[in-house]
Amino acid sequence: MKGDFHARVISNVSIARHVSDISLQLSLDAGEIDPKPGQFAHLSSGGVFLRRPISIAGFDKKNSRVRIIVRNAGIGSGAIASLIPGESIRMLIPLGSPYPLDLFAETAGVKKICLIAGGIGAAPLIFAADFMREFNEKKGKEIFSVESFIGFRDKISSFGLEEFERAGTARPVIGGLVTDALEKSLAHDRPDAILACGPEPMLRALQGIRGLNGIPSYVSLEAHMGCGVGACLVCSCRIATDSGHTDDDNVRYRRVCRDGPVFKLSEVVFG
Amino acid sequence: MMTLETELCGVLLKNPMIAASGTFGFGEEYSELYDISCWGAISVKGLTNRPRSGNPPHRIAETASGMLNSVGLENPGVDAFMRNELPRLARQGIPIIANVAGSTIDDYRESVGKLSDSPVSIIELNISCPNVREGGVQFGTSPERVREVTSAVRSCTSKPLMIKLSPNVSDISEIARAAEDAGADAISLINTITGMAIDAKTRRPILANVTGGLSGPAIKPVALRMVWQAAAAVSIPIVGMGGIMNADDVAQFMLAGARAVMIGTANIVDPMAGPRILAEIENFMQENEISDIRELVGGLRTS
Ligand SMILES: Cc1cc2nc3c(=O)[nH]c(=O)nc-3n(C[C@H](O)[C@H](O)[C@H](O)COP(=O)(O)OP(=O)(O)OC[C@H]3O[C@@H](n4cnc5c(N)ncnc54)[C@H](O)[C@@H]3O)c2cc1C
Ligand SMILES: Cc1cc2nc3c(=O)[nH]c(=O)nc-3n(C[C@H](O)[C@H](O)[C@H](O)COP(=O)(O)O)c2cc1C
Ligand code: FES
Repeated sequence: MKGDFHARVISNVSIARHVSDISLQLSLDAGEIDPKPGQFAHLSSGGVFLRRPISIAGFDKKNSRVRIIVRNAGIGSGAIASLIPGESIRMLIPLGSPYPLDLFAETAGVKKICLIAGGIGAAPLIFAADFMREFNEKKGKEIFSVESFIGFRDKISSFGLEEFERAGTARPVIGGLVTDALEKSLAHDRPDAILACGPEPMLRALQGIRGLNGIPSYVSLEAHMGCGVGACLVCSCRIATDSGHTDDDNVRYRRVCRDGPVFKLSEVVFG
Repeated sequence: MMTLETELCGVLLKNPMIAASGTFGFGEEYSELYDISCWGAISVKGLTNRPRSGNPPHRIAETASGMLNSVGLENPGVDAFMRNELPRLARQGIPIIANVAGSTIDDYRESVGKLSDSPVSIIELNISCPNVREGGVQFGTSPERVREVTSAVRSCTSKPLMIKLSPNVSDISEIARAAEDAGADAISLINTITGMAIDAKTRRPILANVTGGLSGPAIKPVALRMVWQAAAAVSIPIVGMGGIMNADDVAQFMLAGARAVMIGTANIVDPMAGPRILAEIENFMQENEISDIRELVGGLRTS
């Protein structure tokens, strides 16, 4: 179930340079929603015409509270990042396809999941890390073994380390390339799956890592959006495929808002 | 008793609100949010005879009070539409409008021919898509071409035929008259206005297609003016659109001469725009003691 809800700001804490950690209370009619890591919300903010897609960084089902982590990157995200407690916005939630964590949870044995985050891309992966930790706690044993590589441009831009550490091992990479750190680690340690979110150059570099061959890898893409639900077709990305209607050979446009934002890394064709 | 009913070339609409082509897909996505049969009718994403993959991204740019899009008629084609989408849409129990685009007259005729044996209620001929070179707008910008394409399609269907006009013309009245003369049962306007956006830092256009179609409140004054001029020029029904965001906007278009309205970009910024605006219209009618919405049509007082 998804819906367009009123959301009231409970708290807004600055956790890094230009980054706000915001907790929002959804209106009562939101009882039924069950957002999953990788899904996003579409937020209206005063001052700009279109809504802005923002990843769900956490969800407290009992209290219908949503956590978002927003970087002031322009007018729209800036307006969201500077919301003050008590203010209300509209939020269409949850949207898009999640990381396939439910699928991993169903298969037998311990799953070694590797999270690769770049900058604000850490937001949905914090949700993924918390989800896996809580899952382990609920089962009373380790189902997910989580290792995170989290890259930030500098120390004052970094956030979320505690959450990643609580879920497993976390390797912050400040100033360098997370993909280099991952490549080195792959030589002696192969995870069962990779979940990534970050700037396009990072995702491209990820696609170039030979050692990842054979490891199911999922990335969350960004696109400029309109409706956020799949109806207006403005948020296309290129996905390699051998079926479907297309003008170019074996490349098909897919909607980031509905077919994604999470896609298989191997299928993404970067522009 | 209050009635919102209106009629469009023999097709009864329970209210004058039609979801505008290209902003509502084939209805599936919004049906997950509310009962889409609340609309008076739905105009589906522009269809072409063969599937089209559309333009490369970026396909959207935000503007002051509006947006530019350069989707470029991405659609599964008429056949796949009739097979996979129409049966579900037809079960909604409201009129479905097939928006059809093409690059040649034969394209239009072939698509419309197929749709003539389908449950669609109205064919909306899109001769105004600014986003594809061969996507119809060359048929929409001169009265001769409008006449040519309209009469060619007229002769191959008995379905009501609505022609969707482009605002990218110097004299909308003569275009509207050309459509009427050639046998159109109704006209809809306006499609998007050609525009562009530039990123000054990178010195690049924001849309990969460079230009795109402007929609939303930014175009409403132009749309109102064109609906008013078209209404004065023809006697067939007019469906007005361009930047409608609320009930007051709906009333304005009807006063300017529209028998019904289409709502597009409002769905994009407010996913609940359909049911919201419908409720607002009922309030508007109550507050202004309007018992029959048709009394607004062409009711503009100019003296
Ligand atoms: C699925 C998804 C999840 C996201 N999650 C987060 C998150 O958790 N935290 C966060 O801070 N940001 C997130 N973003 C990015 C966020 O939506 C953009 O930073 C924001 O749209 C930029 O808007 P602006 O008004 O600040 O920038 P402006 O430069 O004013 O934006 C101008 C236009 O470009 C679009 N645009 C510009 N940059 C982006 C971008 N990177 N992605 C999408 N549209 C863009 C805007 O929507 C707008 O239409 C996410 C994006 C996507 C697609
Ligand atoms: C994303 C988008 C896609 C559109 N696609 C079509 C289309 O396929 N066929 C068509 O006739 N008009 C299309 N339009 C134009 C709208 O139907 C409408 O004419 C225009 O947007 C003005 O109305 P609005 O301001 O309410 O959106 C599209 C508009 C948008 C914003
Ligand atoms: S934003 Fe409308 S289809 Fe993705």
